[in-house]
This record gives sequence, C-alpha cells and structure tokens, in this order.
Amino acid sequence: MEPLIFGLGWVGLYAPLALAAIGSSIGCMRAGSAACGALLEVESGYGRFIGVAALPSSITIYGIVVTMSLNRPLTLENSPGIFSLGVLTGLALLYCATAQGDACAASINASKSKVEVFGISMAPAALIEGFAVFAFVFALVLAAGIPK
Amino acid sequence: MAEQYISLVSSLPYLPPFEKAERSPITRLRIEQRLHILRPEDARQLALAEALVSWRMSLAKPKTDREMVLRCHAALQEITQPALHEFVEFRIAQQTILAGLRLRNTGFESSFLDQVNGASRWAGFIASHWDHPDFRLAAVYPWIPETRSYLETNDASGLDRLMMNIIWQRLSRIAEGNRFGFEAVFAFVFKWDILQAWLARDAEKAKSRFQELIKEVKNDS
Repeated sequence: MEPLIFGLGWVGLYAPLALAAIGSSIGCMRAGSAACGALLEVESGYGRFIGVAALPSSITIYGIVVTMSLNRPLTLENSPGIFSLGVLTGLALLYCATAQGDACAASINASKSKVEVFGISMAPAALIEGFAVFAFVFALVLAAGIPK
Repeated sequence: MAEQYISLVSSLPYLPPFEKAERSPITRLRIEQRLHILRPEDARQLALAEALVSWRMSLAKPKTDREMVLRCHAALQEITQPALHEFVEFRIAQQTILAGLRLRNTGFESSFLDQVNGASRWAGFIASHWDHPDFRLAAVYPWIPETRSYLETNDASGLDRLMMNIIWQRLSRIAEGNRFGFEAVFAFVFKWDILQAWLARDAEKAKSRFQELIKEVKNDS
C-alpha cells in the first residue's frame, strides 16, 4: 500500500506542470493554426496574430510554480494531499489552456477582417486566464497547509 | 476539432450579408486552393453536395425529374456527414416544396409530383395535402406562406431573396455549431455560392441564359 501512496504523491507533484504543458501545447496549436490561416488573408499585423497564438503558453508557468510549491519530501501523511491538489490543479490548468486556445482562435478569426474588434475579441481569452489564475493562487494557498 | 480546419476557416474571409455585398471577397479559384486542406472524404462529400444543391443551376443537371430524383437518392446515401446530410435534405425539401407550389399554381394535379416519387421525404405528404394552401407544412417550414404569396404575385426577385435568406440563415446556424470544423467550411462554400449568385444577377445575362436553356430543351425534344 505504501508504494502506491508514494506513487500517487509523485503523480500529484508533477501533474500541475505536465497537465498544464499538455494544455498549453493544445491551446497554442489551435490558436497557432488560426493565426497561420489568418496570415493568408491579411496584408499586415502578422505579429499581432502570432502574439495572441502564444497566449496559452502562460498557463504552463502557473503549472511550474504550483509544482515547485508542492515540492517537498514525500511522506505517507502528505502524499494524498499532494496528489489531490496536484491532479485537480493540473486538470483545471489543462482545460483552461485548451479553452483559451479556442478563444484565441476565435479572436484571431474575428479580428482578421475587422481590426477594430481585436481588443474586445480577446476578452473571453482574458477571462479564461482569470480562471487559471484562481486555480493557481488557491493551489498555492492550499499547498502551504500540506505537511512538510 | 481538426487543427487543419482551424487554419482553413481562419484563411477564409468574412462574408458580408449577400444583400449588402458589393463584391465577392474571394474568388472561386482561391477558395479551391484553400479547400485543398480538406480531408479527401470531406472534399468528396462537399463535391457531391455542391453538385446537388448549389444555388446556380448547371446545364449538366439531369434532364428528367426521375433522373434527378435518382441522383438525389444516390448522393444522399453517400453524404454521411450529419450536418451536411441534414443541409442537403433541407435544400431538397425546399426545392420540392417550391416545385409543388409552382406546379399547383400552373394547374397540375398532385399525381404529377407523386409520379416522380420526389427526392424529398415530403413529396408524398405534399401530394396527399395538395389542396391545402401550405400543404399542411407551414408549422415545419414557416416560410411557405410567404413563398406562396411571392409566387402568386409573380415576384421572382422577392422569391429569390427569400429563398436565399432562408438558406443563408440556416448555414449561419450550422457554422455556429462548429466554428472551426467541416460544418463552418461547407457553410462558407454554400454561402459564397449564394453571394455570387446574388451579385451575378443581371437582366441581360438572365435573358440570354434563359434562351440558352430553351434552346437546350428544344434540341432534346
């Protein structure tokens, strides 16, 4: 039983980073595909589209920080907590990153023909970033309560 | 969500409402270049659907109703993508209803529609409710009364606009269902087709095309 509990602890420790990185990759791939398509349609402002396509990558940074905050010697007491917190935070970040990729793709698609909506069309992506920040901040708060 | 379709949808320009458009934002050649990204099966299904229900009538279409019905049935069996299948069925139903209204206005009996065993599932229903003003289908297709009034007043332009509007709105809804999928792609293609048909409206050209069709019918008989 003990090896299983320690194994889960290790999974929880690395889950925020791994899942956030997977989500960011998917998000960047979707937004990047939209940016590449839009480049064919516009005559200028290429940098703007590529910049938006990179937005989901920020969520990996939250994953890195959460993993670092959870990093401590694993014991039978703290492994279940690390597993629960790590996996749930990772899943939240994964979903936020993929959803943000879709929101960025929609923003690129809308603003390619109407440049003036560029700012407002980024609002959904910014909101999703906010949800990722909530998951990130509260993971840090709760991580402080897990025994060292 | 296929990533290549995200790229494809983003590479297609915004299509303004067809009535407000002054020019087409993209050429057919450019669309076809972009559609090369489509999966072979999707491309085949789109081609089948276009051949069947694109707005502009092709001279290569079958010469008899029976041939057309057979072609519809064959194509519908091959079009398996649910949204495209549903759209093609809707277009065929729309054409069948329009044909029924026109035939009735011209004084034909319901048996005529029955004989050709229409491509649409509504053909039999229309034939059995021939004497009802809206074939008892107004609850399913609320645009039938308006269509009927345009036919009765011989307002071909108004009728065209109404039919195009109905399809345009339906395609917009389909595209919203999957903004970066095959649905958005085929919705764009059919909307562009409507836009192009609207922009190409020209009384002189229509006259010569009409004469061309008459000549073709005469040569056949």
